[in-house]
Amino acid sequence: MLIPRKVKYRKQHRPDRHGAASGGTRVVFGEWGIQALEPAYVTNRQIEAARIAITRHIRRGGKVWITIYPDRPLTKKPAETRMGSGKGSPEWWVANVKPGRVMFELSFPNEKVAKEALTRAVHKLPMKCRIIRREAGEA
Amino acid sequence: MSEVRIDAQPRDEFGKGAARRIRRDGNIPAVIYGHGTDPIHITLPGRDLTRALKQQNVLIQLQLGEGKTQLTLPKSIQRDPLRQIIEHVDLVVINANEKVIVEVPVITVGSAEPGSLVEHADNLTVLALATNIPTSIEVDIAGLPIGSTIHASDVKLPEGVELAADGDVSVVHIVAPQTEEAATPAADAAAEAAPAEA
Repeated sequence: MLIPRKVKYRKQHRPDRHGAASGGTRVVFGEWGIQALEPAYVTNRQIEAARIAITRHIRRGGKVWITIYPDRPLTKKPAETRMGSGKGSPEWWVANVKPGRVMFELSFPNEKVAKEALTRAVHKLPMKCRIIRREAGEA
Repeated sequence: MSEVRIDAQPRDEFGKGAARRIRRDGNIPAVIYGHGTDPIHITLPGRDLTRALKQQNVLIQLQLGEGKTQLTLPKSIQRDPLRQIIEHVDLVVINANEKVIVEVPVITVGSAEPGSLVEHADNLTVLALATNIPTSIEVDIAGLPIGSTIHASDVKLPEGVELAADGDVSVVHIVAPQTEEAATPAADAAAEAAPAEA
């Protein structure tokens, strides 16, 4: 799973979930991509589950790119704990994904298999997504 | 390269409020500049412009009113990534007889070694006469083995078109596909080895 090797501060504020993606909105590496349509925190486990769903379906003959990284820690207080006594301990690593962001890219020669692989990956993700194709020659 | 005629209306109100009003009416805000002229802010009909911009590097003959026309080339197109609508267009003034630097789509022809993946650049930057911009540049990849690369200097360009990009830029790269066996265990091992906290 994707985890930062070293972080400057262990605990962070919750990232802002408003607005749309300002970059990374086009497919640039592969031929197909998964684009987020809603904001969400995508955990490293969800990213890994989606990646496995793609690679298991295409088996071999393709290439997968992950274009998001879970670099934000989210904390959680233990159950049945009174308020106060400081911030909880880091529980998840998430990527703060905003609408429009392309999260996975896939290069595969067969369109049907590529779409099915990405559909399986979408089922592992916590938001509405769509599958997009690289636009040839888009300005 | 074909030429498209579009009627343009001058625009005298600016800012996001005005731009949103223009878009609500089915139009697209745009600006014309280049050749040392002052920028002209205009409004273009959304349907006509969207249809014209389906083709890259399309020449747009703007009817600016009072019989005045201006030949332009799209320079930058801002799209909404979710709705896929055009939000704003920058048009650059050109003369029909001048050479312009444009990005032309790259298309691969033929099939490389079976089982390989073809990674190719979207566009190639070329210098061409404004009225003779190629719609695409075809790159022949028939029979290329895995690991081979075609650089910009190796691409055969149409007559009258010169390369404007660096010749060392990779245009097509034939790569070996990723295997499931190679991808999964390495990632799991990395996850176990990496502690989550600093």
